[in-house]
Amino acid sequence: MNEPVIMDNVDNASVAPTSGALHEYDARLARSADWPVFAPGIGGRIGRFMLSDQCRYGLLGFAVFFGLWYLFTAIIIPPRFNFIPNPLSLFGEWISERPKFGVSIFTPEYYQHIWVSTARAYGAFALSVLLGAPLGILLGWNRTARNLVYPIVELLRPIPPLAWVPLAVLLIPTTEMAVIFVTLLASFFATVLNTLLGVTSIHEAYFRAAACLGYNRWQVLIRVVLPGAAPFIFTGLQIAMGVAWFSLVGGEMIAGRSGLGYLIFDGYTQLALPNIFIGMITLGVLGFVSSAIIRRVGNWLMAWQTKGGQA
Amino acid sequence: MKIAITRHLRGLQNPIIWQGALGLVSFFVIWQLARTIGWMVIAPTPLEVLANIPKQMAQEGYWFSWLASTGRVFGGFFLAAAFAIVLGIAMGTTRKFRQAGFPILEILRPIPPLAWLPLAILFWPKAEMTMVFLTFMGAFFPIFINVLSGIDAIDVRYVQAARSLGAGPATLFWRILAPGALPSLFTGLTIAIGITWEVVIAAEMASGNHGLGYLTWNAYMSNSLVGIVIGMLSIGVAGMISSGLMSWLGRHAMPWRRP
Repeated sequence: MNEPVIMDNVDNASVAPTSGALHEYDARLARSADWPVFAPGIGGRIGRFMLSDQCRYGLLGFAVFFGLWYLFTAIIIPPRFNFIPNPLSLFGEWISERPKFGVSIFTPEYYQHIWVSTARAYGAFALSVLLGAPLGILLGWNRTARNLVYPIVELLRPIPPLAWVPLAVLLIPTTEMAVIFVTLLASFFATVLNTLLGVTSIHEAYFRAAACLGYNRWQVLIRVVLPGAAPFIFTGLQIAMGVAWFSLVGGEMIAGRSGLGYLIFDGYTQLALPNIFIGMITLGVLGFVSSAIIRRVGNWLMAWQTKGGQA
Repeated sequence: MKIAITRHLRGLQNPIIWQGALGLVSFFVIWQLARTIGWMVIAPTPLEVLANIPKQMAQEGYWFSWLASTGRVFGGFFLAAAFAIVLGIAMGTTRKFRQAGFPILEILRPIPPLAWLPLAILFWPKAEMTMVFLTFMGAFFPIFINVLSGIDAIDVRYVQAARSLGAGPATLFWRILAPGALPSLFTGLTIAIGITWEVVIAAEMASGNHGLGYLTWNAYMSNSLVGIVIGMLSIGVAGMISSGLMSWLGRHAMPWRRP
């Protein structure tokens, strides 16, 4: 554990306890990081958040954002803003039981699109981890393998995954597989390169220590390489998840017949503006949840990495 | 002369070089053989691609495609960099502004840049503006997040030390904040330039009228696989040059980090 840095959450300007403010200083000290206070229950935490500056200003920010959106789409409508739905009608469409443009939380199509996109993104992600992480470990661990394969990786990597779409559509028999291939490609390189970086960043001394203790290759892999590279691997996985969603949307727009990317593009060709917005927001939420899951799993698997002392 | 030859021979002894060359050569040989065996019959072989490069480069509009795509990439990229750096510094140094603005940006950030495409086509009067807007959306968030985390990573003690030595806001900015956040900024710029190329290619494929993505899509439409592969290679080269440029800039902006 590090030395407790009690200044972290405190305004730098007025740290010193001046005569009258002594009481308040104590209170702030108790609130700051690493100070042993009793963790409040969930209700207490929510209550404290509601009173905090962060909550007040955050709400202010949201109010300004949605206020401006409403102002420019419902009250004064500048040219070219006229087709954008205002937030209230958009939300109304989203939760209406009989949506005008056929997509809302009550229609099965909506969940169909979500399901198709999620299955593609996670399928491609899982494949890229299964293929990419072992390859990255091999390249990081074995110098000959790295010398042989790394130039090829570097040759193919600068080509953006979405530039593969035409080739993939022509070479791969089904569109479904072509879209998954493009998504896979994007996350594959992120996984391989970060895993490789993780393995090469492990200090030589750990390998020597393991050799002195008589570990065999398998034990070195489990005890040294995997834990040593894990932080980088998880960074890579988060990047991989992000680019997987990104490429998936591109693939679905260019070549897809279903999924949220297709919903957005279809909303464009049919001029169903609310569907575009619904698709975009849903994609944002799905992407956010996906990377939050990976972060959680990473923190849970690498408890030694995460900072202790939750106040 | 003799020294030069010896140097070349010594280069061949270096395993990184000969093994790398071996890897690349076997990649192309496998590609070539795959066709001979009967896999991927419609895919062109590397020799065919090589033979067609001059013809493809001589075709009308090839260099113009380069110009169009590059203009879109760098237009959006520089706009995004300007906005992101200003906003990042403002949010990194003002707590209230950050508390108000950051949550909004956090909900906009996970939306993939390409998802803005239909909206951008409808909103912007010109196709060129659509493209620049998309590259802007692609580049903005990585740069912004990296500027912010760069500022966050600056040790508070530096700020306190500078202040106690009597530094004003300008000195604080140029001596502490700028050098502290630069490495992170350049990481963001390198990520962003890659994303902008990807966005531009996809947007040109879906809607564009010029550019390298459109060139590749056109080759797809006319069923010319050689054209597709050469389009892809051109995009790869363009992306490589751009990220090379970024790391060159980074090395010159941060001389103290040069190895």
